[in-house]
Amino acid sequence: MAVLSKTLRALLFCALGLTVFLRGACAAEAPTEYQVKAVFLYNFSHFVDWPPQASSEPNEPFVIGVLGSDPFGARLDDAVRGEQIGQHPLLVRRFRNVGEVGNCRILYIDRSEGADLGRILAALDHRTTLTVSDLEGSSQRGVMIQFLTENNRIRLRINVESARAAGLTISSKLLRPAEIVGTSSGD
Amino acid sequence: MAAAPTSIRRTLMLMIFLSSGAVLALTTTAFCTYEFLTFRQSSVQQLQTLSRAIASNSTAALAFDNADDASQVLAAFKAEPHIAAAALYDTHGKIFATYPHGRPAASFPARPNASGYSFGRGELIGFQPVAEGSKRLGTLFVESGLGAMYARMKLYALIVGLVIGVSLPLAYLISRRLQHRLLHPILALAQATRAVSERHDYTVRAVRTGAREFDQFTDTFNQMLTQIQQADGKLHAQLGRLSLLQHITRATGERQDLPSIFQVVLGSLEENLPIDFGCFLLHDSIAQSLTVSVLGAAGRGFADSLGLAAQVNVPLDANGLSRCVAGQLVYEPDVLRVPFPFPQRLAAAGLRSVVIAPLIVENQVFGVLVCARREAEAFSSGECEFLRQLSEHVALASHQARLYGALQQAYDDLRQSQQTVMQQERLRALGQMASGIAHDINNAISPVSLYTESLLEREPNLSERARGYLTTIQRAIEDVARTVARMREFYREREAQLTLERVDLNRAVRQVVELTRPRWSDLPQQRGVMVDLQTELSDFLPDVMGAEHEIRDALTNLIFNAVDAMPTGGTLTVRTRKSADGSASDQVLVEVSDSGIGMDEDTRRRCLEPFFTTKGERGTGLGLAMVYGMIQRHSAGLEIDSTTGQGTTVRMRFPAFTSSAVSTARPSVLPAAGRRLRILLVDDDPLLIKSLQDTLQEDGHLITATHGGQAGIDAFAGARQRGEGFDIVITDLGMPHVDGRKVAASVKTLSLTTPVILLTGWGQRLMAANDIPPNVDKLLSKPPRLHELRAALSELVS
Repeated sequence: MAVLSKTLRALLFCALGLTVFLRGACAAEAPTEYQVKAVFLYNFSHFVDWPPQASSEPNEPFVIGVLGSDPFGARLDDAVRGEQIGQHPLLVRRFRNVGEVGNCRILYIDRSEGADLGRILAALDHRTTLTVSDLEGSSQRGVMIQFLTENNRIRLRINVESARAAGLTISSKLLRPAEIVGTSSGD
Repeated sequence: MAAAPTSIRRTLMLMIFLSSGAVLALTTTAFCTYEFLTFRQSSVQQLQTLSRAIASNSTAALAFDNADDASQVLAAFKAEPHIAAAALYDTHGKIFATYPHGRPAASFPARPNASGYSFGRGELIGFQPVAEGSKRLGTLFVESGLGAMYARMKLYALIVGLVIGVSLPLAYLISRRLQHRLLHPILALAQATRAVSERHDYTVRAVRTGAREFDQFTDTFNQMLTQIQQADGKLHAQLGRLSLLQHITRATGERQDLPSIFQVVLGSLEENLPIDFGCFLLHDSIAQSLTVSVLGAAGRGFADSLGLAAQVNVPLDANGLSRCVAGQLVYEPDVLRVPFPFPQRLAAAGLRSVVIAPLIVENQVFGVLVCARREAEAFSSGECEFLRQLSEHVALASHQARLYGALQQAYDDLRQSQQTVMQQERLRALGQMASGIAHDINNAISPVSLYTESLLEREPNLSERARGYLTTIQRAIEDVARTVARMREFYREREAQLTLERVDLNRAVRQVVELTRPRWSDLPQQRGVMVDLQTELSDFLPDVMGAEHEIRDALTNLIFNAVDAMPTGGTLTVRTRKSADGSASDQVLVEVSDSGIGMDEDTRRRCLEPFFTTKGERGTGLGLAMVYGMIQRHSAGLEIDSTTGQGTTVRMRFPAFTSSAVSTARPSVLPAAGRRLRILLVDDDPLLIKSLQDTLQEDGHLITATHGGQAGIDAFAGARQRGEGFDIVITDLGMPHVDGRKVAASVKTLSLTTPVILLTGWGQRLMAANDIPPNVDKLLSKPPRLHELRAALSELVS
């Protein structure tokens, strides 16, 4: 009996240990959606070429802006902390409205600004700002990169036309796994 | 010896195999290693390039968390079948995507290693960082199988095997071929060397094979052989010449006369050196000319065309001969180029090269040796040296021969002198004995002579027969006296003063024929041999001036010789005639001919020599010599004609007596008229005293005879004291105790004017010696002749 109880007790510990391990592993393996998107935002800086005049000064920060309500929280700051693009330090800025957006390289347009999207895009016209949004159909409306979620995976939809119009060159590597769309003239 | 080539062959084979094997092994190893390393490196590089491309392509997939895209990117590895597996890890080291599809994740490394490539067991593993710009996005793991490399290695191994498999037999074949080329000259050389060393045949030559070093070696070897051959040839030639020299020296040593020495030298040279023409010339230093002494037998044809024969003179002008005569050895390699007469003569005869060697004895060149050959430059320096040495030897041998000849001559002369001396000694002893005998005989026959002469003179009434007997007795006595006198001539040293008288040769011949009758008639008849003696005496033969007894002696000798020449009998003819030739003065010839054995030329030439005889012990060898002496003394001539087997004729030629030389043949002294002389007669022989006393008393002289010298002196002294004295003294020379000289001296002491006549049995000898003793006025020989005595008495006393 003593042996059996000992075995049971060991099994119990094992099961407990396994549970803890699995939970830990699940927690590590499953980052949140915006955590991923924050990394994606930062990663875009590697696959997009801005025209030279976009960063005239050497120490001018490379700004990643968030327009509207911020879904990232600290996650975006965490993702870019310590990073820099060439000589430019990375800086995350949050804007209430489009008017605040100054020299910004990557601008995330939150869902909350969906109503103003047309105005925003118009305001950003002819500015070398990569526009990113996860609004449905935003890419067809002129946003350069739209986050999609398919099978729990975040996919990209890219409007090459608008990017080209803004003078940006998107790496073909980025284009390959993404879905390419054009601007629909409906809106 | 036989093991060496095998060993060389084996070594060569091993060498070639080992070296080619080692080269092959090293080459293939290096090649394989190189290929292996290069292949590894290129594999790494290839993998790296591929990984970089894939990594670059998978950045977006990693950056935007697109595993499908990543898997698609990795699927590109399908194009490279050797890529066994690939995986992408994200920045956290978690596997993001894998290739090939379906491979369990556990087979991949749990976490990426440091970037880099490494070879594992059978695979190449690489970790390639995935980064966009400076942003590290993950790691690519690639695993490449090495099957291709192994396949290639197998291929290489196969190639290497093929190469070795082909190249080793090829190497074997090449080595066989090269080995043949390499060994062939060595074996040929070895063979040549063996042939040389075993057979001492230096004419062997190694064959060139075409390989440069070996040909040099072969050439050097052959050159060495040539030198050895030349040296060997020289040595052989030298040895040959040495033995020839020895042979010639020995041959010359056995000969003692120059011609035969020269002949044997030339014969040896012609046969053994050889030469085409050889001759010896003798040098006359006074006449400055060379005379051919001996010509080689083989070169006779050349001698004929040269115009050379024995005793021919070769002029000595300014040519090679004069240099040779000056003592140099002269070698003319090509006589055509020498303008002097003698070489030109040689050239004309077809001879081209000539060596002229001087024969020198005591710094005098007494001759030269000429050796010639048909070819130009045919004499080597060794042969010249040989001829020089030979000429020295020949000169020495000639000198010795001459010395030997001189010695022999001296010896012969000495023996001749010795014999002459012995002969003279014998004759002297004989002469002394004969002299004594002659003295006694003269004494003994003196009475006979005196009485016979007295009887013939004073007895006119003698019957014709008695007168004839007495005349014969007188002639016989005279001959006895002359024979006795001649006995002494055997040893007389000078010719007697020859008193010439008219001689009737016919009468002399008749007398001799009579006197020698026992010899030519009686003795042969006792042996049953018949000698027929005929005389052919010319009438009206002139007289000759001469000594009759010598002529008779000569005739006697000639008749004796003629009889001796006819041991089986024959005809002996004695002729006299007047010479038929028309010369100025008439000559009278006396010939003695026989039909006997005759004389050969040598005997005829030598027959006049003293002591030369063909009669052995029976002959003295003096007969013809005495004849010759007589002929000389008579200024006459002697001719001997003889033919072997047919007989001999000896002819004496006397000058005829001419009328201008008329004199009384025999002084006929009549008995001295008137004067009656007192004569003292001194002798020790009573018979002689008696006969002299009788005959002189019959002439009317008063004779006092004394016996012995002392008695004579006493008688002379006594008569002088008595005042009677003697008109003349006749004394004998040889007397015991007091001889004739003492008697004469005593007489002259007592009476200087009294003449002394000395009678002597040695009279002619004394006369011959011009030895008339002092105190003697006249010398008369015994037996005294009456007419001589009378002449002396009348001469001395008047």
